Amino acid sequence: MDLGSLLNALILGVSIASIWLIAALGLTIIYGTAGVINMAHGEFIMLGAYSSYMLQFYLGLPYLLCLPASFVIVALVGLALERGLIRYLYNRPLDTLLATYGVSLVLMQGVRLIFGSDPKYLAVPEMFQSNVMLGSASISAFRIVVLGITAFLVFALWLLFYKTRFGVQVRAVMQNKEMAASFGINSGRIYMMTFALGAGLAGVAGALFGVLAIVLPTMGASYVVQAFLMVVVGGGSLAGSVVASGVTGEMQSVFAFFTNDTFARFIIFVLIVVFLRFRPQGLFAQAGARR
Amino acid sequence: MSTLLNFENVTSYYGATRILKDFSFEMEQGQCLCVLGRNGVGKTTLMRTIMGLTDRSTGAIRINGAEISAKPPHVRATYGLGYVPQGRGILSDFTVRENILLGTFARADKASEIPDICLRIFPYLKENLDKRAGLLSGGQKQQLAIARALAVGPQILLLDEPTEGIQPNIVNEIGEILKMLNKELGISLILTEQHIKVARKLGDAFLMVDNGRVVARGPIAEMTDELVNRHMTI
Ligand SMILES: Nc1ncnc2c1ncn2[C@@H]1O[C@H](COP(=O)(O)OP(=O)(O)OP(=O)(O)O)[C@@H](O)[C@H]1O
Ligand SMILES: [Mg+2]
Repeated sequence: MDLGSLLNALILGVSIASIWLIAALGLTIIYGTAGVINMAHGEFIMLGAYSSYMLQFYLGLPYLLCLPASFVIVALVGLALERGLIRYLYNRPLDTLLATYGVSLVLMQGVRLIFGSDPKYLAVPEMFQSNVMLGSASISAFRIVVLGITAFLVFALWLLFYKTRFGVQVRAVMQNKEMAASFGINSGRIYMMTFALGAGLAGVAGALFGVLAIVLPTMGASYVVQAFLMVVVGGGSLAGSVVASGVTGEMQSVFAFFTNDTFARFIIFVLIVVFLRFRPQGLFAQAGARR
Repeated sequence: MSTLLNFENVTSYYGATRILKDFSFEMEQGQCLCVLGRNGVGKTTLMRTIMGLTDRSTGAIRINGAEISAKPPHVRATYGLGYVPQGRGILSDFTVRENILLGTFARADKASEIPDICLRIFPYLKENLDKRAGLLSGGQKQQLAIARALAVGPQILLLDEPTEGIQPNIVNEIGEILKMLNKELGISLILTEQHIKVARKLGDAFLMVDNGRVVARGPIAEMTDELVNRHMTI
Protein backbone atom coordinates (compact mmCIF):
# COMPACT_ATOMS: atom_id res chain seq x y z
CA MET A 1 0.00 0.00 0.00
CA ASP A 2 1.36 3.38 -0.93
CA LEU A 3 0.24 6.89 -0.18
CA GLY A 4 -0.40 7.64 -3.82
CA SER A 5 -3.12 5.04 -4.22
CA LEU A 6 -4.71 6.03 -0.92
CA LEU A 7 -4.88 9.56 -2.30
CA ASN A 8 -6.54 8.14 -5.39
CA ALA A 9 -9.07 6.44 -3.18
CA LEU A 10 -9.78 9.74 -1.44
CA ILE A 11 -10.30 11.52 -4.75
CA LEU A 12 -12.58 8.74 -5.93
CA GLY A 13 -14.41 9.11 -2.61
CA VAL A 14 -15.37 12.69 -3.46
CA SER A 15 -16.90 11.42 -6.68
CA ILE A 16 -18.84 8.69 -4.88
CA ALA A 17 -19.98 11.24 -2.34
CA SER A 18 -21.31 13.52 -5.04
CA ILE A 19 -23.37 10.69 -6.52
CA TRP A 20 -24.84 9.79 -3.15
CA LEU A 21 -25.52 13.42 -2.42
CA ILE A 22 -27.26 14.26 -5.66
CA ALA A 23 -29.47 11.21 -5.19
CA ALA A 24 -30.36 12.50 -1.72
CA LEU A 25 -30.89 16.21 -2.43
CA GLY A 26 -34.52 16.08 -3.52
CA LEU A 27 -35.44 13.70 -0.73
CA THR A 28 -33.72 15.95 1.81
CA ILE A 29 -35.66 19.00 0.75
CA ILE A 30 -39.05 17.32 0.72
CA TYR A 31 -38.43 15.60 4.05
CA GLY A 32 -36.78 18.61 5.66
CA THR A 33 -39.56 21.01 4.72
CA ALA A 34 -42.78 19.06 4.70
CA GLY A 35 -41.78 16.04 6.77
CA VAL A 36 -42.95 13.79 3.95
CA ILE A 37 -41.00 10.60 3.41
CA ASN A 38 -41.31 10.29 -0.32
CA MET A 39 -41.18 6.61 -1.20
CA ALA A 40 -41.51 7.53 -4.88
CA HIS A 41 -38.17 9.35 -4.85
CA GLY A 42 -36.41 6.51 -6.65
CA GLU A 43 -39.08 6.54 -9.35
CA PHE A 44 -38.68 10.30 -9.73
CA ILE A 45 -35.02 9.58 -10.42
CA MET A 46 -36.08 6.93 -12.93
CA LEU A 47 -38.49 9.39 -14.58
CA GLY A 48 -35.64 11.87 -14.91
CA ALA A 49 -33.60 9.28 -16.77
CA TYR A 50 -36.49 8.39 -19.08
CA SER A 51 -37.27 12.07 -19.67
CA SER A 52 -33.73 12.60 -20.87
CA TYR A 53 -33.92 9.43 -22.94
CA MET A 54 -37.12 10.58 -24.65
CA LEU A 55 -35.87 14.08 -25.30
CA GLN A 56 -32.66 12.71 -26.72
CA PHE A 57 -34.14 9.86 -28.72
CA TYR A 58 -37.24 11.52 -30.14
CA LEU A 59 -36.28 15.19 -30.23
CA GLY A 60 -32.53 14.95 -30.53
CA LEU A 61 -32.01 17.37 -27.68
CA PRO A 62 -28.32 17.76 -26.73
CA TYR A 63 -27.49 16.00 -23.46
CA LEU A 64 -26.65 19.16 -21.52
CA LEU A 65 -30.09 20.57 -22.30
CA CYS A 66 -31.70 17.33 -21.19
CA LEU A 67 -30.59 18.06 -17.62
CA PRO A 68 -32.67 21.21 -17.05
CA ALA A 69 -35.49 19.76 -19.16
CA SER A 70 -35.62 16.66 -16.96
CA PHE A 71 -35.72 18.94 -13.94
CA VAL A 72 -38.77 20.71 -15.34
CA ILE A 73 -40.59 17.56 -16.42
CA VAL A 74 -40.15 15.70 -13.15
CA ALA A 75 -40.89 18.87 -11.15
CA LEU A 76 -44.23 19.05 -12.99
CA VAL A 77 -44.92 15.41 -12.19
CA GLY A 78 -44.11 16.19 -8.54
CA LEU A 79 -46.37 19.23 -8.63
CA ALA A 80 -49.26 17.19 -10.00
CA LEU A 81 -48.71 14.49 -7.39
CA GLU A 82 -48.61 17.03 -4.56
CA ARG A 83 -51.75 18.83 -5.68
CA GLY A 84 -53.63 15.66 -6.49
CA LEU A 85 -52.69 13.51 -3.52
CA ILE A 86 -50.00 14.47 -1.03
CA ARG A 87 -51.56 17.73 0.08
CA TYR A 88 -54.49 15.89 1.57
CA LEU A 89 -52.18 13.76 3.70
CA TYR A 90 -49.74 16.19 5.35
CA ASN A 91 -51.01 15.51 8.83
CA ARG A 92 -50.91 11.75 8.36
CA PRO A 93 -47.28 10.58 7.96
CA LEU A 94 -48.13 6.90 7.68
CA ASP A 95 -50.61 7.57 4.91
CA THR A 96 -48.11 9.63 2.91
CA LEU A 97 -45.69 6.75 3.21
CA LEU A 98 -48.21 4.28 1.80
CA ALA A 99 -49.51 6.70 -0.81
CA THR A 100 -46.08 7.55 -2.18
CA TYR A 101 -45.18 3.85 -2.16
CA GLY A 102 -48.29 3.19 -4.23
CA VAL A 103 -47.33 6.00 -6.59
CA SER A 104 -43.86 4.52 -6.97
CA LEU A 105 -45.35 1.20 -8.12
CA VAL A 106 -47.67 2.95 -10.56
CA LEU A 107 -44.83 4.96 -12.03
CA MET A 108 -42.60 1.94 -12.37
CA GLN A 109 -45.28 -0.19 -14.05
CA GLY A 110 -46.43 2.70 -16.20
CA VAL A 111 -42.95 3.26 -17.57
CA ARG A 112 -42.54 -0.47 -18.11
CA LEU A 113 -45.77 -0.54 -20.11
CA ILE A 114 -44.69 2.34 -22.30
CA PHE A 115 -41.00 1.63 -22.78
CA GLY A 116 -40.69 -2.07 -21.99
CA SER A 117 -38.19 -3.69 -19.65
CA ASP A 118 -35.19 -3.56 -21.93
CA PRO A 119 -32.43 -1.14 -20.99
CA LYS A 120 -32.12 2.25 -22.64
CA TYR A 121 -28.94 4.27 -22.96
CA LEU A 122 -28.18 7.96 -22.79
CA ALA A 123 -25.57 9.37 -25.10
CA VAL A 124 -23.21 12.01 -23.81
CA PRO A 125 -20.90 14.34 -25.69
CA GLU A 126 -17.56 12.87 -26.75
CA MET A 127 -15.60 14.99 -24.30
CA PHE A 128 -17.34 13.40 -21.30
CA GLN A 129 -16.43 9.89 -22.35
CA SER A 130 -12.71 10.19 -21.78
CA ASN A 131 -10.80 9.79 -18.55
CA VAL A 132 -8.99 12.64 -16.87
CA MET A 133 -6.13 12.62 -14.42
CA LEU A 134 -6.78 14.18 -11.05
CA GLY A 135 -3.42 14.10 -9.29
CA SER A 136 -2.41 10.56 -9.99
CA ALA A 137 -5.95 9.24 -10.06
CA SER A 138 -7.64 8.51 -13.34
CA ILE A 139 -11.32 9.32 -13.21
CA SER A 140 -13.95 9.43 -15.92
CA ALA A 141 -14.71 12.93 -17.13
CA PHE A 142 -18.40 12.34 -16.62
CA ARG A 143 -17.89 11.81 -12.90
CA ILE A 144 -16.34 15.27 -12.82
CA VAL A 145 -19.48 16.57 -14.52
CA VAL A 146 -21.60 14.92 -11.83
CA LEU A 147 -19.42 16.43 -9.14
CA GLY A 148 -19.63 19.87 -10.73
CA ILE A 149 -23.41 19.73 -11.11
CA THR A 150 -23.84 18.51 -7.55
CA ALA A 151 -21.69 21.35 -6.24
CA PHE A 152 -23.64 23.82 -8.36
CA LEU A 153 -26.99 22.52 -7.10
CA VAL A 154 -25.93 22.60 -3.46
CA PHE A 155 -24.76 26.18 -3.87
CA ALA A 156 -27.95 27.16 -5.68
CA LEU A 157 -30.07 25.57 -2.97
CA TRP A 158 -28.09 27.33 -0.28
CA LEU A 159 -28.70 30.64 -2.04
CA LEU A 160 -32.36 29.84 -2.43
CA PHE A 161 -32.85 28.88 1.21
CA TYR A 162 -30.66 31.45 2.90
CA LYS A 163 -30.60 34.46 0.59
CA THR A 164 -34.10 34.82 -0.83
CA ARG A 165 -37.50 35.71 0.52
CA PHE A 166 -38.74 32.34 -0.64
CA GLY A 167 -36.07 30.78 1.57
CA VAL A 168 -37.20 32.79 4.59
CA GLN A 169 -40.73 31.52 4.01
CA VAL A 170 -39.61 27.90 3.71
CA ARG A 171 -37.51 28.07 6.87
CA ALA A 172 -40.27 29.85 8.74
CA VAL A 173 -42.76 27.12 7.86
CA MET A 174 -40.22 24.48 8.91
CA GLN A 175 -39.74 26.06 12.32
CA ASN A 176 -43.24 27.07 13.21
CA LYS A 177 -46.08 26.63 10.79
CA GLU A 178 -48.57 28.50 12.94
CA MET A 179 -46.41 31.59 13.35
CA ALA A 180 -45.57 31.53 9.64
CA ALA A 181 -49.28 31.47 8.83
CA SER A 182 -49.96 34.25 11.34
CA PHE A 183 -47.60 36.41 9.32
CA GLY A 184 -49.11 35.78 5.93
CA ILE A 185 -47.16 32.76 4.74
CA ASN A 186 -49.23 30.19 2.88
CA SER A 187 -47.68 26.94 4.04
CA GLY A 188 -49.67 24.90 1.52
CA ARG A 189 -48.06 26.83 -1.29
CA ILE A 190 -44.61 26.43 0.26
CA TYR A 191 -45.08 22.66 0.57
CA MET A 192 -46.26 22.49 -3.02
CA MET A 193 -43.23 24.36 -4.32
CA THR A 194 -40.70 22.43 -2.26
CA PHE A 195 -42.24 19.15 -3.34
CA ALA A 196 -41.93 20.18 -6.97
CA LEU A 197 -38.37 21.37 -6.36
CA GLY A 198 -37.43 18.09 -4.68
CA ALA A 199 -38.94 16.11 -7.54
CA GLY A 200 -37.08 18.24 -10.07
CA LEU A 201 -33.80 17.59 -8.29
CA ALA A 202 -34.50 13.85 -8.49
CA GLY A 203 -35.08 14.39 -12.20
CA VAL A 204 -31.61 15.89 -12.63
CA ALA A 205 -30.11 13.03 -10.66
CA GLY A 206 -31.87 10.59 -12.98
CA ALA A 207 -30.54 12.31 -16.08
CA LEU A 208 -27.02 11.87 -14.66
CA PHE A 209 -27.49 8.32 -13.39
CA GLY A 210 -28.83 7.28 -16.78
CA VAL A 211 -25.33 7.92 -18.09
CA LEU A 212 -23.43 6.34 -15.20
CA ALA A 213 -25.53 3.20 -15.52
CA ILE A 214 -28.31 2.00 -17.78
CA VAL A 215 -31.87 3.30 -17.92
CA LEU A 216 -34.39 0.78 -16.59
CA PRO A 217 -37.85 1.04 -15.01
CA THR A 218 -36.40 -0.42 -11.80
CA MET A 219 -33.27 1.73 -11.67
CA GLY A 220 -34.66 3.96 -8.90
CA ALA A 221 -34.45 1.25 -6.29
CA SER A 222 -30.67 1.07 -6.47
CA TYR A 223 -30.25 4.74 -5.55
CA VAL A 224 -33.06 5.29 -3.16
CA VAL A 225 -31.66 3.26 -0.27
CA GLN A 226 -28.49 5.33 -0.23
CA ALA A 227 -30.50 8.48 -0.56
CA PHE A 228 -32.62 7.57 2.45
CA LEU A 229 -29.54 6.74 4.46
CA MET A 230 -28.01 10.12 3.69
CA VAL A 231 -31.16 11.92 4.77
CA VAL A 232 -31.50 9.91 7.97
CA VAL A 233 -27.85 10.22 8.93
CA GLY A 234 -27.82 13.92 8.03
CA GLY A 235 -30.96 14.64 10.02
CA GLY A 236 -32.97 16.05 7.13
CA SER A 237 -31.05 19.28 6.61
CA LEU A 238 -29.14 20.29 3.52
CA ALA A 239 -25.88 20.62 5.46
CA GLY A 240 -26.53 17.25 7.09
CA SER A 241 -26.90 15.49 3.76
CA VAL A 242 -23.76 17.17 2.41
CA VAL A 243 -21.67 16.05 5.39
CA ALA A 244 -23.23 12.58 5.53
CA SER A 245 -22.57 11.99 1.83
CA GLY A 246 -19.04 13.34 2.09
CA VAL A 247 -18.11 11.12 5.00
CA THR A 248 -19.77 7.94 3.76
CA GLY A 249 -18.50 8.46 0.22
CA GLU A 250 -14.95 8.72 1.48
CA MET A 251 -15.36 5.76 3.80
CA GLN A 252 -16.82 3.67 0.98
CA SER A 253 -13.87 4.52 -1.21
CA VAL A 254 -11.21 3.97 1.44
CA PHE A 255 -12.71 0.72 2.75
CA ALA A 256 -13.07 -0.52 -0.80
CA PHE A 257 -9.41 0.29 -1.33
CA PHE A 258 -8.46 -2.05 1.52
CA THR A 259 -11.09 -4.71 0.85
CA ASN A 260 -13.68 -4.63 -1.92
CA ASP A 261 -16.80 -2.68 -2.88
CA THR A 262 -19.35 -5.07 -1.43
CA PHE A 263 -17.57 -5.47 1.87
CA ALA A 264 -17.03 -1.71 2.12
CA ARG A 265 -20.75 -1.18 1.65
CA PHE A 266 -21.49 -3.75 4.33
CA ILE A 267 -19.20 -2.00 6.82
CA ILE A 268 -20.80 1.35 6.06
CA PHE A 269 -24.32 0.06 6.60
CA VAL A 270 -23.24 -1.44 9.92
CA LEU A 271 -21.58 1.83 10.95
CA ILE A 272 -24.71 3.77 10.02
CA VAL A 273 -26.88 1.49 12.13
CA VAL A 274 -24.51 1.93 15.07
CA PHE A 275 -24.43 5.70 14.52
CA LEU A 276 -28.21 5.91 14.47
CA ARG A 277 -28.42 3.81 17.61
CA PHE A 278 -26.60 6.59 19.45
CA ARG A 279 -27.84 9.58 17.51
CA PRO A 280 -31.24 8.76 16.08
CA GLN A 281 -31.93 12.40 15.24
CA GLY A 282 -29.02 12.43 12.77
CA LEU A 283 -26.04 14.74 12.46
CA PHE A 284 -27.81 18.08 12.36
CA ALA A 285 -31.17 17.63 13.95
CA GLN A 286 -33.65 20.24 12.89
CA ALA A 287 -34.87 22.42 15.66
CA GLY A 288 -38.39 23.68 15.81
CA ALA A 289 -41.79 22.12 15.79
CA ARG A 290 -42.91 20.82 12.47
CA ARG A 291 -46.67 20.76 12.84
CA MET B 1 -65.62 56.42 14.73
CA SER B 2 -66.32 53.22 12.91
CA THR B 3 -66.39 49.61 13.94
CA LEU B 4 -63.05 47.95 13.26
CA LEU B 5 -63.57 44.46 14.59
CA ASN B 6 -66.79 42.73 15.32
CA PHE B 7 -67.62 39.29 16.74
CA GLU B 8 -71.15 38.04 16.37
CA ASN B 9 -72.10 34.88 18.27
CA VAL B 10 -68.72 33.29 17.73
CA THR B 11 -68.18 29.82 19.13
CA SER B 12 -64.68 28.47 18.84
CA TYR B 13 -63.51 24.90 19.25
CA TYR B 14 -60.48 22.80 20.02
CA GLY B 15 -61.47 19.37 18.79
CA ALA B 16 -65.06 18.95 19.91
CA THR B 17 -64.65 21.19 22.97
CA ARG B 18 -66.24 24.63 22.87
CA ILE B 19 -63.78 27.11 24.34
CA LEU B 20 -65.37 30.44 23.35
CA LYS B 21 -69.11 30.30 23.65
CA ASP B 22 -71.49 32.61 21.84
CA PHE B 23 -68.93 35.39 21.95
CA SER B 24 -70.04 38.84 20.80
CA PHE B 25 -68.35 42.22 21.03
CA GLU B 26 -67.18 45.05 18.85
CA MET B 27 -64.34 47.51 18.97
CA GLU B 28 -63.90 50.94 17.46
CA GLN B 29 -61.13 52.14 15.20
CA GLY B 30 -58.20 53.47 17.23
CA GLN B 31 -59.35 51.97 20.50
CA CYS B 32 -57.40 49.96 23.02
CA LEU B 33 -59.56 47.06 24.14
CA CYS B 34 -58.43 45.22 27.27
CA VAL B 35 -59.46 41.60 27.59
CA LEU B 36 -59.52 40.48 31.20
CA GLY B 37 -60.24 37.31 33.09
CA ARG B 38 -58.73 34.55 35.17
CA ASN B 39 -56.28 31.98 33.86
CA GLY B 40 -57.83 29.54 31.45
CA VAL B 41 -61.04 31.47 30.67
CA GLY B 42 -60.25 31.76 26.96
CA LYS B 43 -58.30 35.00 26.44
CA THR B 44 -55.62 33.36 24.32
CA THR B 45 -58.30 31.41 22.52
CA LEU B 46 -59.95 34.72 21.61
CA MET B 47 -56.70 35.91 20.01
CA ARG B 48 -56.26 32.62 18.20
CA THR B 49 -59.85 32.71 17.01
CA ILE B 50 -59.25 36.14 15.49
CA MET B 51 -56.16 34.76 13.71
CA GLY B 52 -57.99 31.59 12.64
CA LEU B 53 -55.74 29.26 14.60
CA THR B 54 -58.36 27.29 16.51
CA ASP B 55 -59.63 24.05 15.05
CA ARG B 56 -63.00 25.48 14.02
CA SER B 57 -65.29 28.40 14.73
CA THR B 58 -68.87 29.36 13.96
CA GLY B 59 -70.49 32.79 13.88
CA ALA B 60 -69.31 35.94 12.14
CA ILE B 61 -65.98 37.77 12.53
CA ARG B 62 -65.70 41.04 10.64
CA ILE B 63 -62.84 43.46 10.09
CA ASN B 64 -64.02 46.80 8.72
CA GLY B 65 -67.19 45.03 7.75
CA ALA B 66 -65.46 42.27 5.77
CA GLU B 67 -66.35 38.77 6.93
CA ILE B 68 -63.14 36.84 7.57
CA SER B 69 -64.27 33.78 9.48
CA ALA B 70 -63.97 31.51 6.43
CA LYS B 71 -60.47 32.71 5.59
CA PRO B 72 -57.29 30.83 6.53
CA PRO B 73 -54.78 32.45 8.95
CA HIS B 74 -52.32 33.58 6.27
CA VAL B 75 -55.07 35.54 4.53
CA ARG B 76 -56.45 37.02 7.75
CA ALA B 77 -53.00 38.38 8.56
CA THR B 78 -53.13 40.53 5.44
CA TYR B 79 -56.16 42.40 6.85
CA GLY B 80 -53.65 44.19 9.04
CA LEU B 81 -53.48 41.90 12.04
CA GLY B 82 -50.20 42.04 13.95
CA TYR B 83 -50.14 39.12 16.35
CA VAL B 84 -47.96 39.02 19.48
CA PRO B 85 -48.77 35.62 20.95
CA GLN B 86 -48.48 34.55 24.55
CA GLY B 87 -45.05 32.93 24.88
CA ARG B 88 -43.93 35.24 22.05
CA GLY B 89 -43.64 32.71 19.24
CA ILE B 90 -40.13 33.79 18.28
CA LEU B 91 -38.46 31.57 15.68
CA SER B 92 -35.29 30.71 17.51
CA ASP B 93 -33.28 29.51 14.49
CA PHE B 94 -33.87 32.83 12.77
CA THR B 95 -31.82 35.94 13.36
CA VAL B 96 -33.45 39.02 14.83
CA ARG B 97 -33.57 40.45 11.32
CA GLU B 98 -35.27 37.38 9.84
CA ASN B 99 -37.83 37.36 12.63
CA ILE B 100 -38.79 40.95 11.90
CA LEU B 101 -38.80 40.28 8.15
CA LEU B 102 -41.29 37.50 8.80
CA GLY B 103 -43.80 40.23 9.62
CA THR B 104 -43.40 41.83 6.20
CA PHE B 105 -44.98 38.85 4.43
CA ALA B 106 -48.37 39.95 5.71
CA ARG B 107 -47.99 43.54 4.51
CA ALA B 108 -50.72 44.91 2.30
CA ASP B 109 -48.16 46.90 0.27
CA LYS B 110 -45.84 43.89 -0.22
CA ALA B 111 -42.83 45.96 0.87
CA SER B 112 -39.94 43.73 1.88
CA GLU B 113 -37.83 46.01 4.08
CA ILE B 114 -37.97 46.33 7.83
CA PRO B 115 -40.05 49.46 8.54
CA ASP B 116 -38.19 52.20 10.48
CA ILE B 117 -40.61 52.17 13.36
CA CYS B 118 -39.64 48.60 14.38
CA LEU B 119 -36.05 49.53 15.10
CA ARG B 120 -36.65 53.10 16.25
CA ILE B 121 -38.53 52.06 19.34
CA PHE B 122 -36.31 49.07 20.11
CA PRO B 123 -32.66 50.20 19.90
CA TYR B 124 -31.47 46.88 21.30
CA LEU B 125 -32.86 45.06 18.26
CA LYS B 126 -31.28 47.57 15.92
CA GLU B 127 -27.86 46.81 17.35
CA ASN B 128 -28.33 43.04 17.26
CA LEU B 129 -29.99 42.39 13.94
CA ASP B 130 -27.76 39.44 13.11
CA LYS B 131 -27.97 37.77 16.49
CA ARG B 132 -29.77 34.45 16.66
CA ALA B 133 -33.17 35.13 18.19
CA GLY B 134 -32.94 32.02 20.36
CA LEU B 135 -30.19 33.74 22.32
CA LEU B 136 -32.30 36.74 23.40
CA SER B 137 -33.65 37.15 26.93
CA GLY B 138 -37.36 36.94 27.62
CA GLY B 139 -37.81 40.71 27.61
CA GLN B 140 -35.79 41.08 24.42
CA LYS B 141 -37.89 38.40 22.77
CA GLN B 142 -40.98 40.32 23.74
CA GLN B 143 -39.57 43.44 22.07
CA LEU B 144 -38.82 41.34 19.02
CA ALA B 145 -42.32 39.92 18.94
CA ILE B 146 -43.78 43.43 19.04
CA ALA B 147 -41.34 44.66 16.36
CA ARG B 148 -42.29 41.72 14.14
CA ALA B 149 -46.00 42.48 14.55
CA LEU B 150 -45.31 46.14 13.71
CA ALA B 151 -43.54 45.05 10.53
CA VAL B 152 -46.95 43.91 9.29
CA GLY B 153 -48.01 47.57 9.21
CA PRO B 154 -50.96 46.55 11.35
CA GLN B 155 -54.35 48.14 11.85
CA ILE B 156 -54.78 46.06 14.98
CA LEU B 157 -52.10 44.72 17.28
CA LEU B 158 -53.18 41.59 19.13
CA LEU B 159 -51.10 41.54 22.29
CA ASP B 160 -51.47 38.44 24.42
CA GLU B 161 -50.04 39.18 27.87
CA PRO B 162 -47.21 41.38 26.62
CA THR B 163 -45.96 42.04 30.14
CA GLU B 164 -46.03 38.41 31.32
CA GLY B 165 -42.75 37.38 32.90
CA ILE B 166 -41.21 40.81 32.55
CA GLN B 167 -39.60 42.67 35.43
CA PRO B 168 -41.75 45.47 36.90
CA ASN B 169 -39.72 48.47 35.69
CA ILE B 170 -39.80 47.16 32.12
CA VAL B 171 -43.55 46.58 32.38
CA ASN B 172 -43.99 50.36 32.52
CA GLU B 173 -41.65 50.81 29.58
CA ILE B 174 -43.67 48.41 27.45
CA GLY B 175 -46.83 50.16 28.65
CA GLU B 176 -45.42 53.48 27.41
CA ILE B 177 -44.51 52.01 24.03
CA LEU B 178 -47.97 50.54 23.59
CA LYS B 179 -49.53 53.84 24.56
CA MET B 180 -47.41 55.62 21.97
CA LEU B 181 -48.38 53.11 19.26
CA ASN B 182 -52.03 53.53 20.13
CA LYS B 183 -52.27 57.28 20.75
CA GLU B 184 -49.65 58.64 18.35
CA LEU B 185 -49.69 56.13 15.50
CA GLY B 186 -53.35 55.28 15.81
CA ILE B 187 -52.87 51.52 15.85
CA SER B 188 -55.79 49.80 17.54
CA LEU B 189 -54.86 47.39 20.32
CA ILE B 190 -56.43 44.27 21.73
CA LEU B 191 -54.62 43.55 24.92
CA THR B 192 -54.87 40.78 27.47
CA GLU B 193 -53.37 41.86 30.75
CA GLN B 194 -53.00 40.52 34.26
CA HIS B 195 -51.81 43.93 35.49
CA ILE B 196 -55.03 45.84 36.14
CA LYS B 197 -53.00 49.04 36.46
CA VAL B 198 -51.63 48.74 32.94
CA ALA B 199 -55.10 47.96 31.66
CA ARG B 200 -56.58 51.04 33.33
CA LYS B 201 -53.81 53.24 32.02
CA LEU B 202 -53.99 52.09 28.39
CA GLY B 203 -57.50 50.86 27.89
CA ASP B 204 -60.42 52.69 26.34
CA ALA B 205 -62.74 49.75 26.70
CA PHE B 206 -62.72 46.41 28.46
CA LEU B 207 -64.04 42.94 27.91
CA MET B 208 -64.39 40.70 30.95
CA VAL B 209 -64.31 37.00 30.10
CA ASP B 210 -65.28 34.10 32.30
CA ASN B 211 -65.51 30.47 31.25
CA GLY B 212 -65.44 31.31 27.55
CA ARG B 213 -68.20 33.91 27.71
CA VAL B 214 -68.30 37.70 27.78
CA VAL B 215 -69.58 38.54 31.25
CA ALA B 216 -69.15 42.31 31.14
CA ARG B 217 -67.97 44.95 28.70
CA GLY B 218 -67.98 48.69 28.26
CA PRO B 219 -65.81 51.79 28.55
CA ILE B 220 -62.87 51.31 30.91
CA ALA B 221 -64.38 53.78 33.39
CA GLU B 222 -67.15 51.27 34.02
CA MET B 223 -64.68 48.61 35.07
CA THR B 224 -65.37 48.79 38.79
CA ASP B 225 -63.30 47.19 41.51
CA GLU B 226 -66.32 45.11 42.36
CA LEU B 227 -66.35 43.71 38.81
CA VAL B 228 -62.64 43.02 38.90
CA ASN B 229 -62.94 41.28 42.24
CA ARG B 230 -65.83 39.16 41.16
CA HIS B 231 -64.24 37.88 37.96
CA MET B 232 -60.54 38.02 38.56
CA THR B 233 -59.84 36.93 42.11
CA ILE B 234 -59.40 33.24 42.46
N1 LIG C 1 -54.71 23.60 21.92
C1 LIG C 1 -55.69 23.37 22.81
N2 LIG C 1 -56.40 22.21 22.75
C2 LIG C 1 -57.39 21.96 23.63
N3 LIG C 1 -57.76 22.80 24.61
C3 LIG C 1 -57.09 23.96 24.72
C4 LIG C 1 -56.03 24.30 23.83
N4 LIG C 1 -55.54 25.52 24.18
C5 LIG C 1 -56.29 25.90 25.24
N5 LIG C 1 -57.21 24.98 25.57
C6 LIG C 1 -58.21 25.10 26.67
O1 LIG C 1 -58.95 26.26 26.43
C7 LIG C 1 -59.23 26.92 27.65
C8 LIG C 1 -58.86 28.38 27.49
O2 LIG C 1 -57.45 28.48 27.30
P1 LIG C 1 -56.73 29.85 26.99
O3 LIG C 1 -55.31 29.53 26.68
O4 LIG C 1 -57.51 30.56 25.95
O5 LIG C 1 -56.86 30.59 28.39
P2 LIG C 1 -56.27 32.00 28.82
O6 LIG C 1 -57.44 32.80 29.26
O7 LIG C 1 -55.43 32.57 27.76
O8 LIG C 1 -55.40 31.61 30.09
P3 LIG C 1 -54.05 32.26 30.63
O9 LIG C 1 -54.43 33.45 31.42
O10 LIG C 1 -53.48 31.20 31.49
O11 LIG C 1 -53.19 32.58 29.46
C9 LIG C 1 -58.46 26.21 28.72
O12 LIG C 1 -59.39 25.45 29.48
C10 LIG C 1 -57.52 25.30 27.99
O13 LIG C 1 -57.39 24.09 28.69
MG1 LIG D 1 -53.53 33.05 27.63
